[in-house]
This record gives sequence, C-alpha cells and structure tokens, in this order.
Amino acid sequence: MRIDIQRKSFGGSDVLGRLRLDIRRGQRIAVLGPSGVGKSTLLRIIAGLDRDFPGSVGGDERLSVVFQEPTLLPWRRALDNITIPTGCDLALASDLLKRVGLQDQLDRFPRQMSLGQQRRLSLARAFAARPDILLMDEPFASLDPDTATRMIDLTGDLLDHSGAGLILVTHEAREPVRLAARPLLLRGDPATLHEDGQTI
Amino acid sequence: MPGILSLVAMLVLWVVVARISDDPRTMPGPEAVAMRLWQITVTGELWFHAGMTLFRVLASFALAMAVGVALGLWMGRSRTADQWLNPGLVIALNVPALVIIVLAYIWIGLNEVAAILAVALNKIPVVTVMLREGTRALRPDLDDMATAFRMSRAARLRHVVMPQLAPHVAAAARAGISLIWKIVLVVEFLGRSNGVGFKIHLLFSSFDVAGVLAWALAFVAVMLAIDIVVLRPWEARLSRWRRDED
Repeated sequence: MRIDIQRKSFGGSDVLGRLRLDIRRGQRIAVLGPSGVGKSTLLRIIAGLDRDFPGSVGGDERLSVVFQEPTLLPWRRALDNITIPTGCDLALASDLLKRVGLQDQLDRFPRQMSLGQQRRLSLARAFAARPDILLMDEPFASLDPDTATRMIDLTGDLLDHSGAGLILVTHEAREPVRLAARPLLLRGDPATLHEDGQTI
Repeated sequence: MPGILSLVAMLVLWVVVARISDDPRTMPGPEAVAMRLWQITVTGELWFHAGMTLFRVLASFALAMAVGVALGLWMGRSRTADQWLNPGLVIALNVPALVIIVLAYIWIGLNEVAAILAVALNKIPVVTVMLREGTRALRPDLDDMATAFRMSRAARLRHVVMPQLAPHVAAAARAGISLIWKIVLVVEFLGRSNGVGFKIHLLFSSFDVAGVLAWALAFVAVMLAIDIVVLRPWEARLSRWRRDED
C-alpha cells in the first residue's frame, strides 16, 4: 500500500508535513518518536479513521488495528469480541484465543479480565481480521516490563505465523528491535519521517 | 418492610378520613372501593376496559419509543439534523398534552388512530431528548474500532451503539410507560367509547367516587405489574455485563 500525505493540520497549524511511505504484506515498520509528535495521528490516517487531509492512502491490503487501549465491547463475551467485529468463524476465533492463552476465558466479559488479558484479546481480534498489514498504536504502553515483553514476543509469533506486515507506532526503541521492524523516526515541526538521518 | 408499613399507614389514613368525613358518596372507605373492585372483576368488565386501555398504552408506547429512539439517534449523531430539528423539538416539548389530543381528534377524527397518535406525539419529544443525550455520550473509541474493522451498519447498531444506549432506552421506557397511561386515560375520557378513561368519564358524570377509585386502583395495579414483571427484569438482563462475576 502507498501512503502519500501532503500535510495534516489541526486548527490551522500543521502537525504532519510531507510523508511518503510504501509497505507490502510481510514488511515490518516501526514509527518512533516522542509523545505528541503526531504518531497516533499518522496511524489514524493510515487506518482510514481520519480522512481530513490532502493526499491519499491507497492499496488493496487488508488492514487491522490494535489500539492503544484494548477497545473491547464490554457487553460481549471474549469470544464474541472476536467474531462480531471481524466476522471471522468460530474455529479461527478459538484458535487465536488459544494462541494468546485465553482459551479458558471464552465466556468472560472484558471487565472480568485483567488488563494484560484484555490486550491479548485485542491482539487476537486484530489477527482474526486476517490482516495483510497490522497497525499498532503503542500497544505495549502501560504494561509492566515482563508482560510487555511477553506481549511483544506473542505479537512477533503471530506475525510470523500469519505473514502479515506491521506498522507499529511507539516511543520505545527496544520494541522494533525485538520485532525486527525497520525503525523510522517521526520528528520535526511539522513532523516528517526520517531513516538513518535522511528525510524520506 | 418500611414499604409495607407505609402502605398500611396510607390505608389507615384513608379509613380515618372516610370516617371523619362521614360522607360515603364523596369519600368512600376502602371496603366500599374493594367491593366495587370485586364487582368489576367478577363481571369481567374490568378485563375488557383495562384490556382496551392496555392495548392503547402498548401501541402508543411502541410508536413513541420507535420514533423517539430513531430521532434521538439521528439528532445525537448529526449536527445538521440537530440544528434543524431542535426548534421543533423544543416547541413539541412545551405543547400541552390536551392541545395535542384535541387537535388530533379534530383533524383525524374521533377514532383509534387519532387516540394512539395523540398519545405517542405527547411522548416522542421526551424520548427523543433522552436518547439524544445518550447518543452524544457514545464512546468515540468504540466508533473508531467499528470503523477500523469495517463493521456493517446493522452490526454496529446492534453490537456497538444499542448496548450503550440501552440504559437510556430503559430509562425512557420506564418514565414513558407511566406518563403514557395517564395520557391514554385523558384520550379515552375525551373521545373513546371504551377503556378505563371512558369508564371514569361515565362514573364522573354520575358522581360515583367509589367507582372512580376502584378503576384507578385496578389500573395502577396492572401498570405496576408490567413494571415489575417485564421492565425491571429486562433492565437487569441488559446490564448483566456490568457485574464483575457471573
């Protein structure tokens, strides 16, 4: 898919400058940058949640999102939280729940689960949509270091297994290393993408 | 327990007032009213007229909830719709129920359609306002999630939007049903030839207070039963997911 953003502004001031990025199924990219630089804005644009900008985001790839918060349906049980949004079948849903270690939690409501479990459920949901490219918005933030490491490894396994690509937005430099993702830096005002000190 | 004691206290007060007034025609005691209640129950009169009233209550309730929920959802979601419809809504909220009823009977005729429509029109603005507030409080993060996963409109409405609106729908329903049956009685009083309101009209003409009280109490009991048997269990079922443990 091709992402071509001329700029993105909020209330007259540009947050993102000219950005161009190509990504294919199987490629892994990490967008690094400090808080408030516009990483989440960029991810929302790529996910199609924000179309109010000059430029285009195009391609046939199927996308799926892991949000910063688990963003589950509190009134639906774990299994339904996978099948309802993604429309996937029960077999795939139970298989994914097993992979993220939630096979005993199928009938639980989200608030009966710990934050770590909710995040794994959200990860399983994202893979249930059979994405070509997975979009992740700081999904490991606010987890304790051990849980975060386990989540990162789990994400890596699921990416290997499904062959999906990845655009990960984070401010933690160790995450792209562990996930073998190509690190790009988002910085400046308005922010642009940089790789090895070069603007791209 | 205090609830039961309070009911007993009210009953005692009634007996005392009836004794003091010593005028069974204008202030009949509970035993006279109970006798009438028994009479209209065994003759079957109660079931026919209460049934007609209940039918009107349910029909106008269903109409008011359906239209009110749809309008509230629309106005809560779309700024344009809200800006265009809000003045009409404010006016509708402030038109007296009696005016709507009289106009409906004049314009549509003294028939069932006019009666049900008049009651529904009285209730729709209230439901709309409650649902508009509920819709404005919908969680934007779940909206994003539904968009990101390309959920269909129907699935979105059923699994994302309606569960969030359920407490508002339930509140509107419970507030609605008690308002509606009171308006239905007025509608029947003014222009129907059956129903509890019609009976009260007849009894009012003959100044039969015991009869009026008997019919009123009977219908209060019916509406309370609906609240306890239908509405409360439904509300409890909808909020199951809020509990920590099953």
